[in-house]
Amino acid sequence: MADGTIEHTTCLGCGCACDDIAVVTRGGQIVEARNACPLGVDWFGKGTIPARIRSGDGPRDADLASAIAAAAARLRSASRPLVYLAADLSCESQRAAIAVADMLHALLDTLTGTTASAGILAAQRRGRASASLGEIRNRADIVLFWGTDPATRYPRYTSRYAPEPAGLYLPKGRAGRTVIAVDIGTDRGPADADVRVTVAPADEITALALIRAALLGRALPSPGADTLDARTSALADRLRAGHYVAIVADAEASEGRDVRRSDGLLSLAEALNGPTRCALSTLRAGGNRSGADAMLTAQTGYPMAVDFARGVPRYRPNAGAAQLLAGGAIDVALLVGSAHSVPPALRGPLGKIPCVAIGPRASESPIPTAVAIDTGVAGIHEGGTAFRLDDIPLPLRPALAPPNDTVLVLRALAAAIAAEARAA
Amino acid sequence: MTTLRIAGGTVYDPANGVDGAVRDICIQDGTIVATLPKNAPKLDATGMVVMPGGIDIHAHVAASSVNTARRLVPEQHDADPARAPDLALDEDGELVIPRSGSGGTVPSVFTTGYRYAGLGYTTVFDAAVAPITARDTHAQLDDTPIVDAGCFILLGNDAYLLRQLAAGATDRIQDYVAWMLGATRGYAVKIVNPGGVELWKENVREVKTLDDPVGGEAKVTPRAILEALTTAANALKLPHPVHIHCNNLGIPGNVATTLDSMRTVAGQRAHFTHVQFHSYAGERGKSWASGAKQIAEYLAQHPETTCDVGQVMFGPACTITADGALEYLLHTSNGGKWVNVDIELETGCGIVPFNYKDKSAVNALQWVVGLELFLLSPDPWRVVLSTDHPNGATFQSYPELIHLLMDRAYRDEKLKAINQKFLVGSALADGIAREYTLGEIAIITRAGPARILGLTQKGHLGVGADADITVYTTDADRTKMFATPRYVVKGGTLVVEEGQLRRAPTGQRHGVRPGYDTLIERDVKDFFDRYLTVAFENYAV
Ligand code: SF4
Ligand SMILES: [Zn+2]
Repeated sequence: MADGTIEHTTCLGCGCACDDIAVVTRGGQIVEARNACPLGVDWFGKGTIPARIRSGDGPRDADLASAIAAAAARLRSASRPLVYLAADLSCESQRAAIAVADMLHALLDTLTGTTASAGILAAQRRGRASASLGEIRNRADIVLFWGTDPATRYPRYTSRYAPEPAGLYLPKGRAGRTVIAVDIGTDRGPADADVRVTVAPADEITALALIRAALLGRALPSPGADTLDARTSALADRLRAGHYVAIVADAEASEGRDVRRSDGLLSLAEALNGPTRCALSTLRAGGNRSGADAMLTAQTGYPMAVDFARGVPRYRPNAGAAQLLAGGAIDVALLVGSAHSVPPALRGPLGKIPCVAIGPRASESPIPTAVAIDTGVAGIHEGGTAFRLDDIPLPLRPALAPPNDTVLVLRALAAAIAAEARAA
Repeated sequence: MTTLRIAGGTVYDPANGVDGAVRDICIQDGTIVATLPKNAPKLDATGMVVMPGGIDIHAHVAASSVNTARRLVPEQHDADPARAPDLALDEDGELVIPRSGSGGTVPSVFTTGYRYAGLGYTTVFDAAVAPITARDTHAQLDDTPIVDAGCFILLGNDAYLLRQLAAGATDRIQDYVAWMLGATRGYAVKIVNPGGVELWKENVREVKTLDDPVGGEAKVTPRAILEALTTAANALKLPHPVHIHCNNLGIPGNVATTLDSMRTVAGQRAHFTHVQFHSYAGERGKSWASGAKQIAEYLAQHPETTCDVGQVMFGPACTITADGALEYLLHTSNGGKWVNVDIELETGCGIVPFNYKDKSAVNALQWVVGLELFLLSPDPWRVVLSTDHPNGATFQSYPELIHLLMDRAYRDEKLKAINQKFLVGSALADGIAREYTLGEIAIITRAGPARILGLTQKGHLGVGADADITVYTTDADRTKMFATPRYVVKGGTLVVEEGQLRRAPTGQRHGVRPGYDTLIERDVKDFFDRYLTVAFENYAV
């Protein structure tokens, strides 16, 4: 593509999906990603990616048609194939990949299965009081950060959504809001919080339950001065006094955290909607992860860990990619998206089976591949749609051209598999 | 050139005054034509019933809120896995991958398209799309095969619009509506609980009258919103001017609110949706009764007013609505799981899975009110069939609903078995003899919705119409008859053959793009820059 500036580009460096980036290119490289935070600048990088097609062990590149044919043959001959959706795929690519999994009667899983499943499973049991980020920006007068400071992993959350910007109903912006940080061990809330509450990691679930109990009028009578009870009931009083409370938490699992935390946060947000209004905002990492959840849900009814082995989608949140790979059940894998985003725990077992990789830098995959087709990064080289962490869909405006287009490669793969199936 | 003659069927085409006449329907390249050569391919429909394809005027199939609901009910999907259909090879070698999926009250996208077509429905409108999520709706519709589709855009609680009302800048509203419909590829304006969703966000949970101020602005009231949007939609000459979900859904005594809303826009074309949920007499906290008679009387006097019923059927449902306050009430009353999503400066979304029980006094009344609306209806062209899928029941219950309307003995048998507590004095309990004819069924499921939606190419079998046709094997068991059409033709393609889904072509999208003064864009962009989290430039689909 020609040198120039693409305005209103959406960054997928994290789930914030800021759509105000101006990407400047010169000589086929990105030289500036204006408005992006350091994490975003890093994610855009120069935009230079390999453009190779590898099939088998030969030193030379294969042509696309024969690589696709080889991939189709591998996948068709599998007895227990896995289709794994990694990061940096547009919704359109994700939809095309799900179609391939459906045809192959494969196990289909995504990054969500290993990183953010606890919150999804809890919300499926209990529901979820939530809001789009703009509602929080315009309305939330209390913003509670539960054991998270977005500064490192979601850098522009605070400046674009809350608490900093002025909102339609909060003309004074940050000054019109109360920021509460709940520090849980080393997981601390923002440094500039107006109110700080400290909770020991071992007490986290109890604390959530106590705040909820206090809101529901079930608090213990006259708690001692600095007991957990006293701190949580004071916090409950503050929250109840808010007009619109946003609770912000990180949905991507941090190790050692109690999985009951998700349920506790959902219950708390629900209980707050008795006396006042409240929305839970959960932070998701980059590369269009929420999009994968949404596309799987639309096409199969389930947001992750879908097993097509019996010819129909079955939900297997406890027997997804991580479990089946570890158990040695999978014999061939189709890895779509950035192989570099695959969680470390999956890399070992994936390395032991034939892998077809279609995605950005597939030819430089840290996981050995039988077939590798380099495509582009959604949002940098490929267009389409991505979802923000609150499920708001955004258009992608690629600044550079992809070596191969993921959607087209996946469609060709589907056609090749269908043709083989028909011939058989 | 592809041709097909559907020969010798008994045709019900009310828009063209055909009520059970034996005749041939000729199809050429997706359109109905007057004649075909004698040797054209022929489908023998002797003894069968031929109708235009069904049109669902109000369903929830492809909104972001629908996908959120889908995610909420994995247990329903587990119980209703859907195999990929056994599709025939496409003549032009085009690859159509048959897709598996899951059902329940909120089926997956492909399964939704297949199942609608399997029921003889060929056109479906999603009734509630938050504008900021329209891109998602169109993607879901792209994956909903066979049926033609469109969507209604939620505007009754839109912050920009409410600000124009507050400022008295009503002249801007028409341009804004036109811009918005084009930007979202929408088909019509939807109003849900006007002002009430904004109030819910402000923690005001009840709309007492249509003159309650919204956001503390005396000029911004449910009535003002209804007036402004109805006037704008009619001035724009939209094919389907305005689709209204009134305030106070599901609350006893709300028939007064509904009638007040109808009177507010009297004299202008307006469609009131799922009126069953808005036709209760009685008093909050005290009593429930049917208000269907009052609605029927109003409709008899007002030919410009149309409605769909939103029938409740006993069994599982999933309530999905922009009416967040209502869903919170429902959640606190049934204790079930609850989702709420406040959508920035536009609307809201609430979801509660629900099971309607014939032993529940309120559910039994709801069932009766819906049937009364049909049976007391002064005009089948203006009181058309819906279950507000999946709110009152899923679309798969349409055949049984048709059975209830066509067969008094069947209906009275069911009526006996339900909770009678609130049925005292109800017209249905007193006995209604009316039975819908096949011609009237064709009106409330095809011709009527097409006319209300302004779809001139659909809902009839005249020359030039889209070749969307359903052929049923006649059966006295109307549930069975309407659940299993023998043939379904969509846009000239035979999609159901001998009761089996065999082809899954891509449906068309229906949208409008009314003209407007482009000056509005500057003002809207300024509002976006200040308050929205999505760039104006990234908003239009
Ligand atoms: S906050 Fe996230 S989306 Fe926004 S610029 Fe930074 S990395 Fe990109
Ligand atoms: Zn509805």
